[in-house]
Amino acid sequence: MGFLTPAFLAGLAALAIPVLVHLTHRPRSETVPFPSLMFLQKIPYRSVRRQSLRHWLLFAMRCLAFAILALAFARPFFGRTGQAATTLAGAKVRVVLLDRSFSMGYSGRWARALEAARRAVGEAGPQDRVALVLFDRTPESAGEPSLDRAGVRAALDAARPGFGVTRYAPAFRLAQEMLDASNLPAREIVLVTDFQKAGWEGADDVQLAPSTRLTWVDVSDRAASNLAITGVEMERDYESGRERVIATARLVNKGPRPVEGAEVAFDVDGRTVRQQRASLGPNRSATVTFEPFPLPPAVARGTVRVTPDALPQDDTFHFVLAPGGDLPVLVLENGPPRGRSLYVQRALAIGHRPRFRVELKDAAQLQPDDLRPGMLVVLNDAPPPKASAKRLREFVEAGGGLLVVLADQSAPAAWPPEMAALLPGPFGAAVDRSADWGATLAYVDYGHPVFDLFRGPHSGDFSSARFFRYRKLEAKDGVLSRFDDGAVALAAKAIGKGRVLVWTSSIDTAWNDLALQPVFLPFLHQLARYSASHTESPAAHTVGEALDLSREAALQKDGATTLAPSGERSRLPAGSKGLELTEPGFYEVRASAGGPALQVAAVNVDRAESDLAAMDPEELAGAVTHLGRGASATRTEPALTTEEQESRQALWQYLLMAAFLLLATETVLSNRLSTRARSLVRTP
Amino acid sequence: MVSSAELRRDAPASRFLAPEVLARIGNIELLARTVVEGFMSGLHKSPYLGRSVDFAEHRAYMPGDDIRRIDWRLFGRTDRFYLKEFEADSNTDLVQLLDVSRSMRFTSHALTKLDYARYLVACLAYLARKQRDRVGLVTFDEDVLDFVPPSAKHLPILLHTLDRADRAPEGGGKGALSRPLHKAGEACHRRGLMVLVSDLYEEPRAVLDALALLRHRGSDLMVFHVLDPAELEFPFDQPAAYEDLESGERIPVVPDAVRERYRALVADHIATLSRVLGENRIDYGLFDTSRPLDHALASFLTRRERMLRVR
Repeated sequence: MGFLTPAFLAGLAALAIPVLVHLTHRPRSETVPFPSLMFLQKIPYRSVRRQSLRHWLLFAMRCLAFAILALAFARPFFGRTGQAATTLAGAKVRVVLLDRSFSMGYSGRWARALEAARRAVGEAGPQDRVALVLFDRTPESAGEPSLDRAGVRAALDAARPGFGVTRYAPAFRLAQEMLDASNLPAREIVLVTDFQKAGWEGADDVQLAPSTRLTWVDVSDRAASNLAITGVEMERDYESGRERVIATARLVNKGPRPVEGAEVAFDVDGRTVRQQRASLGPNRSATVTFEPFPLPPAVARGTVRVTPDALPQDDTFHFVLAPGGDLPVLVLENGPPRGRSLYVQRALAIGHRPRFRVELKDAAQLQPDDLRPGMLVVLNDAPPPKASAKRLREFVEAGGGLLVVLADQSAPAAWPPEMAALLPGPFGAAVDRSADWGATLAYVDYGHPVFDLFRGPHSGDFSSARFFRYRKLEAKDGVLSRFDDGAVALAAKAIGKGRVLVWTSSIDTAWNDLALQPVFLPFLHQLARYSASHTESPAAHTVGEALDLSREAALQKDGATTLAPSGERSRLPAGSKGLELTEPGFYEVRASAGGPALQVAAVNVDRAESDLAAMDPEELAGAVTHLGRGASATRTEPALTTEEQESRQALWQYLLMAAFLLLATETVLSNRLSTRARSLVRTP
Repeated sequence: MVSSAELRRDAPASRFLAPEVLARIGNIELLARTVVEGFMSGLHKSPYLGRSVDFAEHRAYMPGDDIRRIDWRLFGRTDRFYLKEFEADSNTDLVQLLDVSRSMRFTSHALTKLDYARYLVACLAYLARKQRDRVGLVTFDEDVLDFVPPSAKHLPILLHTLDRADRAPEGGGKGALSRPLHKAGEACHRRGLMVLVSDLYEEPRAVLDALALLRHRGSDLMVFHVLDPAELEFPFDQPAAYEDLESGERIPVVPDAVRERYRALVADHIATLSRVLGENRIDYGLFDTSRPLDHALASFLTRRERMLRVR
């Protein structure tokens, strides 16, 4: 038996009250009016002290009532005896798997889990080896199984729910490895978790050894409810030349209770700029679109947050708002622009992720300064400019993109050898397929980033495009697409840090009708992005991902300082390629402690963990144990915290009721005794 | 000495009015009439009319009557002869001295000693008035509080005074006989019957001294000693501080230890009073407030009548 608030047991000292009352009770304290003391005064006085404790029953009832009251306030409860492997004979090794995913931060779960884990450690026999493994996506052992209970308890004391997602398979694997390393025959895993359904994938191939006994403690709440922001989409547009962002947050209510009027706020650099309210029914989702917000000139930190609930980690969504991101495209034609790039121009004008800034120019007029890093140069059926050929090569080697379109006016002779070396292979004369109703694209490398977008079914049909003429390209490597006769349609070649892609037909309607096909626009966008090696910095990362720092030249040379959301500073050595993101919030990477931020990364918890739906523990146990083949799995009662045990038993209520009944009985009895005594005396 | 328990046993409950019943009668005149008419019914009632200063009634002239007693003013108005009749001079004054001190407000049942005493006084006054006696009243604690001079017409005033006797704002004061009785003796010049109603918490000698002045004036004296049964029996069992209602003094008392001694003292006190007063030709009557009033009154008056015959 335990007490939730044992300090109230000091109230037992109140037992002294009735004792003192009875001991100090004197006839003087109770006055009986009498007409005259004339005769009584003639009788010698006799002490009455011995008469004090006359009503022993009353005295006992009062003492008992005080004792019960003190017990009630101390909130007693009966602790349950453990059911775990205490029944196993002999020494054993026990691995306690404690889920520390962020869903364990749901109200009360972590306390229950800690209680259960402590109990599992405490119930181990003196010769048993115990180890603790904390797990979320990855398991982390607090040490090999040992007799050191203090070490395990210290690890438990230091444990906190993290920001990761639940994954059972790695934890089971590690636990089994630890058990296998032990020479003790009795082996047991005690799994303390909320049994999130998302943490187990049916494909996880984990099997515990037949000799391993699995015991689990389910700390989940059956009626758990959680409102989460699962993502924020940001659409950009331009108004009056100023870039704006339209944020749309997606809210999901995972739970049986509706959410009414939840406040959803959009913060930029810690200042709330937009605010809305949203209501969601049970197990419903909704989107909240904020009014357009003009992007600040510098990188800003955006956060969409909703009124915090029992699981606050997924009630905010961080992202980085970076201005710009345009991809400049320089289209070179043979001679003054005459509209041959109309389709290219129109198709690229539609894009906004990134926004393409298209410029047309005569290839002969190309100046070395026109080539800037990060841009894409399209030689649209134009020979390479002789004056800037070297500069163009340097541009590509430095990371620039070159898309070569070989059509009517692209004579092989017009390509000097040093420029022809940029191409995946030599090209030749045009092939006319108009006689057989044109060629089709027979091979497309959907695994390549250019075509990856069209990989899924109904994601774009290239076979409907007809190619009446194209040039033969003799490329051995880097072929991304071929016509039905085997001729190369698209080939790529990496030059230095840049890329050269060759399209062997026109990109208008002169040699084919691809420009009239629905796939033309996304294809051209993909082509442009890939050619220019354009990578869009993600606005938000997820906990567990790594921040790519390989492009930060300053970091590669001198190292950098990182500032985590928790305020923890750390030093990244020179040459570091990335930074592991372990907590939600904003990470900063600075060249020096006080210098400007090289990178700001927004990190969020994995929303898969927001779904608190629990799986049947038997299902998980059945999947990982050899049930029916000699292995065993046991369910233990959910470990309750002392507060919950006390709350469920609510012994204090009964005690309080008993005390009141006792006091009421005492009052009635006392009144009767007093009435009997006073009935003999009527005061005026 | 007859104990109150014995008195209660002697009194047929069906015939007499229990004190609890009397306590429910709000009108003190009605109460007195109820009590007196009850035990007086059947008794011979022969008022003797004679000459006095108190007019009684008119009567038609009969041949042989003294013509000096004709009311000529009435003859002038009615042209008939009427004689004026007056209260006989032989009728006496009944002055009752009622102790209203705090000790009289004690009770262990439905009726306080003061209530009982008031009803007693009212009944006597009603009875006296029936016999054409003049009635007067003196209420006192340590001094005279109210004085109603004896008169044939003062019964209503007397009853009214009795009615408010228990409404003293401070619940009465200390009781003392000497001073108020002395004043009452000076106020009542005419000899008559004087009745002292009190709980007599004074030494018998002091009581006798206080009554001496009245006795020396030639008045016939009666002392009604009104006591609560708890004062006689001391039935308490709770050790407590006992507080004197008049002085406020407290003493710790263990009833079980003092009860017998107390009863002996009270009995001795009553016996002494009865003996001392009897020796001085003062009638003494003990009234237990648990005893029916009419029964107690009738018993006393009967006993007094017998004693008067002896005297």
